[in-house]
Amino acid sequence: MARGTGFTGGRSCIVTIVLSICIGLLAVAILIGLLRVLTAKDMGSRAIVGDLVYFSAVGILTFIAMLVDLSIVLDVIFLASMLGVLATVALARIQTRGHR
Amino acid sequence: MADIIAIVLVALFGITGSLLMVLSAIAMFRSNDALSRINVFSPATGLGMPLILVAAYVYTLWQDGFGLMRLFMALVGFLSLIIVSSVASNVLSRSVFVAGAPVWRRTSPNRLAEARDDEDAGLTERETWGDFDITDLD
Repeated sequence: MARGTGFTGGRSCIVTIVLSICIGLLAVAILIGLLRVLTAKDMGSRAIVGDLVYFSAVGILTFIAMLVDLSIVLDVIFLASMLGVLATVALARIQTRGHR
Repeated sequence: MADIIAIVLVALFGITGSLLMVLSAIAMFRSNDALSRINVFSPATGLGMPLILVAAYVYTLWQDGFGLMRLFMALVGFLSLIIVSSVASNVLSRSVFVAGAPVWRRTSPNRLAEARDDEDAGLTERETWGDFDITDLD
Protein backbone atom coordinates (compact mmCIF):
# COMPACT_ATOMS: atom_id res chain seq x y z
CA MET A 1 0.00 0.00 0.00
CA ALA A 2 1.51 3.27 -1.09
CA ARG A 3 1.91 6.04 1.42
CA GLY A 4 -0.40 8.94 0.82
CA THR A 5 0.64 12.47 0.19
CA GLY A 6 -2.34 14.41 1.48
CA PHE A 7 -5.24 13.95 3.81
CA THR A 8 -6.84 10.91 2.23
CA GLY A 9 -4.53 10.06 -0.60
CA GLY A 10 -3.64 6.42 -1.17
CA ARG A 11 -5.75 5.00 1.60
CA SER A 12 -9.21 3.66 1.97
CA CYS A 13 -11.95 5.92 3.19
CA ILE A 14 -12.86 3.89 6.26
CA VAL A 15 -9.57 4.61 8.01
CA THR A 16 -10.28 8.32 7.72
CA ILE A 17 -13.76 7.78 9.15
CA VAL A 18 -12.43 5.72 12.08
CA LEU A 19 -9.71 8.23 12.94
CA SER A 20 -12.22 11.09 12.69
CA ILE A 21 -14.54 9.28 15.10
CA CYS A 22 -11.65 8.85 17.57
CA ILE A 23 -10.68 12.53 17.30
CA GLY A 24 -14.31 13.54 17.81
CA LEU A 25 -14.64 11.38 20.93
CA LEU A 26 -11.48 12.83 22.45
CA ALA A 27 -12.66 16.36 21.63
CA VAL A 28 -15.94 15.59 23.43
CA ALA A 29 -13.88 14.38 26.41
CA ILE A 30 -11.94 17.67 26.44
CA LEU A 31 -15.17 19.70 26.25
CA ILE A 32 -16.76 17.78 29.13
CA GLY A 33 -13.57 18.21 31.15
CA LEU A 34 -13.51 21.97 30.54
CA LEU A 35 -17.16 22.19 31.65
CA ARG A 36 -16.14 20.36 34.83
CA VAL A 37 -13.30 22.81 35.42
CA LEU A 38 -15.84 25.63 35.08
CA THR A 39 -18.10 24.13 37.76
CA ALA A 40 -15.42 22.78 40.12
CA LYS A 41 -15.00 24.19 43.60
CA ASP A 42 -11.67 22.82 44.84
CA MET A 43 -8.21 22.85 43.31
CA GLY A 44 -7.75 19.07 43.28
CA SER A 45 -10.61 18.54 40.86
CA ARG A 46 -9.19 21.17 38.54
CA ALA A 47 -5.75 19.56 38.68
CA ILE A 48 -7.04 16.11 37.76
CA VAL A 49 -9.28 17.48 34.99
CA GLY A 50 -6.21 19.27 33.65
CA ASP A 51 -4.50 15.89 33.52
CA LEU A 52 -7.49 14.49 31.60
CA VAL A 53 -7.30 17.34 29.09
CA TYR A 54 -3.56 16.74 28.69
CA PHE A 55 -3.93 13.06 27.89
CA SER A 56 -6.88 13.68 25.58
CA ALA A 57 -4.81 16.24 23.69
CA VAL A 58 -1.98 13.72 23.36
CA GLY A 59 -4.48 11.22 21.94
CA ILE A 60 -5.80 13.78 19.48
CA LEU A 61 -2.23 14.58 18.39
CA THR A 62 -1.56 10.87 17.86
CA PHE A 63 -4.69 10.41 15.76
CA ILE A 64 -3.94 13.54 13.70
CA ALA A 65 -0.45 12.18 13.04
CA MET A 66 -2.07 8.96 11.82
CA LEU A 67 -4.59 10.90 9.74
CA VAL A 68 -2.15 13.09 7.83
CA ASP A 69 0.38 10.24 7.65
CA LEU A 70 3.21 11.77 9.61
CA SER A 71 6.03 9.55 10.81
CA ILE A 72 5.93 10.75 14.42
CA VAL A 73 2.96 8.63 15.48
CA LEU A 74 4.81 6.78 18.21
CA ASP A 75 7.22 9.58 19.15
CA VAL A 76 4.37 11.78 20.34
CA ILE A 77 2.90 9.25 22.72
CA PHE A 78 6.34 8.02 23.83
CA LEU A 79 7.56 11.44 24.95
CA ALA A 80 4.20 12.55 26.32
CA SER A 81 3.77 9.47 28.46
CA MET A 82 7.22 9.86 29.98
CA LEU A 83 7.02 13.61 30.57
CA GLY A 84 3.33 13.79 31.48
CA VAL A 85 4.17 13.17 35.11
CA LEU A 86 5.83 16.58 35.43
CA ALA A 87 2.61 18.59 35.12
CA THR A 88 0.83 16.41 37.64
CA VAL A 89 3.66 16.57 40.18
CA ALA A 90 3.94 20.33 39.74
CA LEU A 91 0.20 20.72 40.39
CA ALA A 92 0.56 18.45 43.42
CA ARG A 93 3.31 20.69 44.80
CA ILE A 94 1.11 23.74 44.23
CA GLN A 95 -1.66 22.08 46.27
CA THR A 96 0.49 21.80 49.37
CA ARG A 97 2.28 25.15 48.83
CA GLY A 98 5.66 23.52 48.37
CA HIS A 99 5.59 20.97 51.17
CA ARG A 100 6.15 17.38 50.21
CA MET B 1 -6.81 -9.51 4.11
CA ALA B 2 -4.03 -7.93 6.14
CA ASP B 3 -5.54 -4.53 5.40
CA ILE B 4 -8.90 -5.59 6.82
CA ILE B 5 -7.30 -7.01 9.97
CA ALA B 6 -5.22 -3.86 10.51
CA ILE B 7 -8.22 -1.56 9.98
CA VAL B 8 -10.38 -3.59 12.35
CA LEU B 9 -7.67 -3.63 15.04
CA VAL B 10 -7.00 0.12 14.72
CA ALA B 11 -10.73 0.85 14.90
CA LEU B 12 -11.28 -1.46 17.86
CA PHE B 13 -8.39 -0.21 19.98
CA GLY B 14 -8.73 3.45 18.98
CA ILE B 15 -12.47 3.77 19.52
CA THR B 16 -12.35 1.77 22.78
CA GLY B 17 -9.56 3.97 24.14
CA SER B 18 -11.34 7.17 23.13
CA LEU B 19 -14.59 5.93 24.68
CA LEU B 20 -12.75 5.25 27.95
CA MET B 21 -11.50 8.86 27.97
CA VAL B 22 -15.06 10.14 27.38
CA LEU B 23 -16.49 7.87 30.07
CA SER B 24 -13.94 8.99 32.65
CA ALA B 25 -14.71 12.60 31.71
CA ILE B 26 -18.40 11.90 32.37
CA ALA B 27 -17.48 10.19 35.63
CA MET B 28 -15.86 13.46 36.78
CA PHE B 29 -19.41 14.83 37.07
CA ARG B 30 -20.79 11.84 38.93
CA SER B 31 -18.12 11.57 41.63
CA ASN B 32 -18.36 13.60 44.78
CA ASP B 33 -14.91 14.75 45.84
CA ALA B 34 -11.43 15.25 44.43
CA LEU B 35 -10.14 11.88 45.64
CA SER B 36 -12.96 10.07 43.84
CA ARG B 37 -12.20 12.07 40.70
CA ILE B 38 -8.55 11.04 40.85
CA ASN B 39 -9.76 7.47 41.35
CA VAL B 40 -12.11 7.44 38.36
CA PHE B 41 -9.44 9.02 36.20
CA SER B 42 -7.21 5.94 36.44
CA PRO B 43 -9.05 3.90 33.73
CA ALA B 44 -8.26 6.69 31.25
CA THR B 45 -4.50 6.56 31.83
CA GLY B 46 -4.28 2.90 32.77
CA LEU B 47 -6.38 1.45 29.95
CA GLY B 48 -7.49 4.16 27.52
CA MET B 49 -4.10 5.63 26.65
CA PRO B 50 -2.38 2.20 26.33
CA LEU B 51 -5.18 1.15 23.95
CA ILE B 52 -4.58 4.29 21.86
CA LEU B 53 -0.86 3.45 21.90
CA VAL B 54 -1.62 -0.10 20.71
CA ALA B 55 -3.78 1.35 17.92
CA ALA B 56 -0.92 3.64 16.88
CA TYR B 57 1.56 0.75 16.96
CA VAL B 58 -0.71 -1.46 14.85
CA TYR B 59 -1.07 1.43 12.41
CA THR B 60 2.70 1.95 12.06
CA LEU B 61 3.16 -1.82 11.78
CA TRP B 62 0.66 -1.83 8.94
CA GLN B 63 2.03 1.22 7.12
CA ASP B 64 5.77 1.04 7.70
CA GLY B 65 6.47 -2.53 8.67
CA PHE B 66 8.31 -3.88 11.67
CA GLY B 67 11.11 -1.87 13.23
CA LEU B 68 13.08 -2.54 16.37
CA MET B 69 13.20 1.14 17.38
CA ARG B 70 9.42 1.48 17.01
CA LEU B 71 8.87 -1.65 19.08
CA PHE B 72 11.17 -0.25 21.79
CA MET B 73 9.34 3.08 21.82
CA ALA B 74 5.97 1.38 21.98
CA LEU B 75 7.02 -0.86 24.86
CA VAL B 76 8.61 1.96 26.87
CA GLY B 77 5.57 4.17 26.23
CA PHE B 78 3.23 1.39 27.33
CA LEU B 79 5.12 0.70 30.56
CA SER B 80 5.58 4.37 31.41
CA LEU B 81 1.90 5.09 30.78
CA ILE B 82 0.96 2.43 33.31
CA ILE B 83 3.67 3.04 35.94
CA VAL B 84 4.29 6.79 35.75
CA SER B 85 0.65 7.82 35.67
CA SER B 86 -0.10 5.60 38.67
CA VAL B 87 2.70 7.25 40.65
CA ALA B 88 1.51 10.69 39.54
CA SER B 89 -2.05 9.95 40.67
CA ASN B 90 -0.74 8.74 44.02
CA VAL B 91 1.34 11.90 44.53
CA LEU B 92 -1.55 14.14 43.51
CA SER B 93 -4.12 12.44 45.74
CA ARG B 94 -1.79 12.49 48.74
CA SER B 95 -1.08 16.18 48.34
CA VAL B 96 -4.79 16.93 47.79
CA PHE B 97 -5.59 15.21 51.08
CA VAL B 98 -2.70 16.91 52.90
CA ALA B 99 -3.83 20.32 51.62
CA GLY B 100 -7.15 19.80 53.35
CA ALA B 101 -9.53 19.35 50.46
CA PRO B 102 -13.02 18.34 51.55
CA VAL B 103 -13.67 14.62 51.49
CA TRP B 104 -17.16 13.33 50.93
CA ARG B 105 -18.68 12.69 54.33
CA ARG B 106 -19.90 9.20 53.51
CA THR B 107 -16.46 7.92 52.53
CA SER B 108 -16.79 4.77 54.53
CA PRO B 109 -13.34 3.25 55.23
CA ASN B 110 -11.40 6.49 55.59
CA ARG B 111 -8.09 5.07 56.76
CA LEU B 112 -6.29 8.36 56.16
CA ALA B 113 -8.36 10.43 58.58
CA GLU B 114 -9.17 8.07 61.40
CA ALA B 115 -7.54 4.99 62.84
CA ARG B 116 -9.77 1.95 62.79
CA ASP B 117 -8.05 0.03 65.57
CA ASP B 118 -4.97 0.25 67.76
CA GLU B 119 -2.67 -1.17 65.14
CA ASP B 120 -3.51 1.62 62.72
CA ALA B 121 -3.00 4.24 65.42
CA GLY B 122 0.65 3.28 65.71
CA LEU B 123 0.31 1.30 68.92
CA THR B 124 2.01 -2.04 69.03
CA GLU B 125 0.34 -5.08 70.44
CA ARG B 126 2.38 -4.94 73.65
CA GLU B 127 1.37 -1.38 74.49
CA THR B 128 -2.34 -2.09 74.29
CA TRP B 129 -2.06 -4.70 77.01
CA GLY B 130 -1.26 -1.96 79.45
CA ASP B 131 0.75 -3.98 81.96
CA PHE B 132 4.47 -3.83 81.33
CA ASP B 133 6.52 -6.29 83.33
CA ILE B 134 10.26 -5.67 83.58
CA THR B 135 11.09 -9.30 83.99
CA ASP B 136 9.06 -10.09 80.93
CA LEU B 137 11.21 -7.93 78.66
CA ASP B 138 14.59 -9.40 79.74
